[in-house]
Amino acid sequence: MTPAEAPLIELVAVTRTYGRGSPDEVRALRGVDLRIAPGEFVSVAGPSGCGKTTLLNLLGLLDSPTSGEVRWNGEPVGQRTDRARARMRLEGVGFIFQRFYLLPTLTARENVELPMRALRVPHGERTRRAGRLLEEVGLTGRGKAFPHQLSGGEEQRVAVARALANEPGLLLADEPTGELDSGNTQAILALLEKVRRDHAASLVVVTHNPEVARRARRHITMRDGAVLEDVREA
Amino acid sequence: MRGWRRAGALRHSRLQFVLAVAAIATAVALPVVLVSVGGGVSAHELSNLENAGYQIVVSAPGVHGITEAHYYTHKILGIPGVTAASPVLSVTIDAFTPKGAVTPVLAEGVIPDQFGPTLSPAEAGLFPLPLPLGDPTDLVHYANGTYDGPATYDVMVSSPYADEYHITTGEKLVLSPAANRSLGTNYTVTGSFGVPPSVLGPTGAFAVLLPLSDLQTLTGLTGGNDPDAADTIQIAVTGSISTNPAALAQVQSKVQGLFEYYGVSSLTQEAQQLQAATGVLTGFYLALSSVGITIGLLFLALVLLRRVEADRRSIGIRRALGIPSRTIAAEILGGGATLALIGAVAGVAAGYLLVEALATWASSAVQEAARLAVFEPPLLTELVGGIVGLSLLAGAVATRSALRLEITEALR
Repeated sequence: MTPAEAPLIELVAVTRTYGRGSPDEVRALRGVDLRIAPGEFVSVAGPSGCGKTTLLNLLGLLDSPTSGEVRWNGEPVGQRTDRARARMRLEGVGFIFQRFYLLPTLTARENVELPMRALRVPHGERTRRAGRLLEEVGLTGRGKAFPHQLSGGEEQRVAVARALANEPGLLLADEPTGELDSGNTQAILALLEKVRRDHAASLVVVTHNPEVARRARRHITMRDGAVLEDVREA
Repeated sequence: MRGWRRAGALRHSRLQFVLAVAAIATAVALPVVLVSVGGGVSAHELSNLENAGYQIVVSAPGVHGITEAHYYTHKILGIPGVTAASPVLSVTIDAFTPKGAVTPVLAEGVIPDQFGPTLSPAEAGLFPLPLPLGDPTDLVHYANGTYDGPATYDVMVSSPYADEYHITTGEKLVLSPAANRSLGTNYTVTGSFGVPPSVLGPTGAFAVLLPLSDLQTLTGLTGGNDPDAADTIQIAVTGSISTNPAALAQVQSKVQGLFEYYGVSSLTQEAQQLQAATGVLTGFYLALSSVGITIGLLFLALVLLRRVEADRRSIGIRRALGIPSRTIAAEILGGGATLALIGAVAGVAAGYLLVEALATWASSAVQEAARLAVFEPPLLTELVGGIVGLSLLAGAVATRSALRLEITEALR
């Protein structure tokens, strides 16, 4: 990111403390400053409990900081209502979870259509876009399958397609290959790179997997709730 | 099917689904039965009142509370517009057949020529008119305010009684105020009459009809504390007065003027009282049923809460994706309302079938009542609508719980 380039999302002196004031108080993030530019591919690594997932939750507006500020396109989101934040997630963020988190009562196609339905995308456009996304992730013809009828790799492909449904500017992936074998890991990584490039979205991946991290252009290492290293490849 | 999958949060727990529907159906079936049967019986009684042959009735507190019945009947007949005034005395006595069988019977004492005009068209068809009882005015036996005149000792018997004991016209019956033949008096059977079906009160299937003064003499209701006693005096008026409320009220007022302490009411008033009582009774039935409905809805709330707990992750995923809270709330409330609707409709159907079963297989009195049941679509629709409306309250508890879930906690 060049200094002139406006960040898509920005954390300013963000802290996040769980169970504040109790004996079990946990300081998950301690004054993190971070700026993610449009189109960036960022990996976040670090030992368990270092605050990676908390960071991802804050970037995805699933959680609020204890102190500090989260800015979206330069606008602070701290004062936004839950409803407004939900709308921002729906329109601007695609989530890919380690355990896929597809809705078990919906088919693959319905899972992909779910965010579009919430955004009231017209039926024809929704169907067309879901079909294209399933094709893009290599699941043509599997749209009518329920999650329990899909392999782990297929489930994660559906999750990727769902994350792209509303063409978000930011993709957040939490250990996206954590439940996959090496073959599927390679396939999902290739897919993530492709969709990031094709959809011009920023991609932040939390991972323990060095192979996943290697594909990113920017590498953030965390420890004890703070950013230890933030390295950009040339 | 696809829509149901989305709307029904309970797809994966059929047992809970069935139990919730059953709880609501049971709660709804009870008021359906109570209100339909109660309303039907009331409507039947109201119809009887509206079709009665008399329009005004005199009554008094206590058993056989009217005294000087012949005297007042004569006075009432002097009021312009009155066409008949029929005092009626009802007493249970014992009857001995020629073959020696003894049975309690309901004896009704009437003035024969006044009794007929106060019958409804349906009742009149059950009696041979004029009644084949000697002394039609009852003023031969009860002459000049005494019981010194000659009695005819004529009696009519009800068809069920006559059929059961093979009693025919011309035979002798001994009627006695107690189960002791030696205290009785011989009467001649002069005819029989039919018995109208009655839902409320005793059917009076075994009954006899005789002149008022004869029954008063037989039962000792001629003097002392009960001189010339009767239970009611039923008064018929001319057709023009019966259809004119103001004129009827005027006659009623004149009748009331004769009695200081007796109640004088028109059938219109009695019908209004019956309608008011029916309304109160319906309210009571619904209040009683509300206990069951409350339990059914609490069960529904519990089932929905359990589903929210079980679908914690799914709800967390939806909220993480940015699905609006109102969509999630609508799904939970819609699921609850769907269950309530199915339960309520099933309850109405179950109530209907139960009433039909009672009308077919229950014991006679219950069967008669069930056959009169009236199912009013507007009332049933309101009941179903009310249940569905209340289910939204039950669903609100589960919805609140779903919307208060911490997304990050739900996704763990």
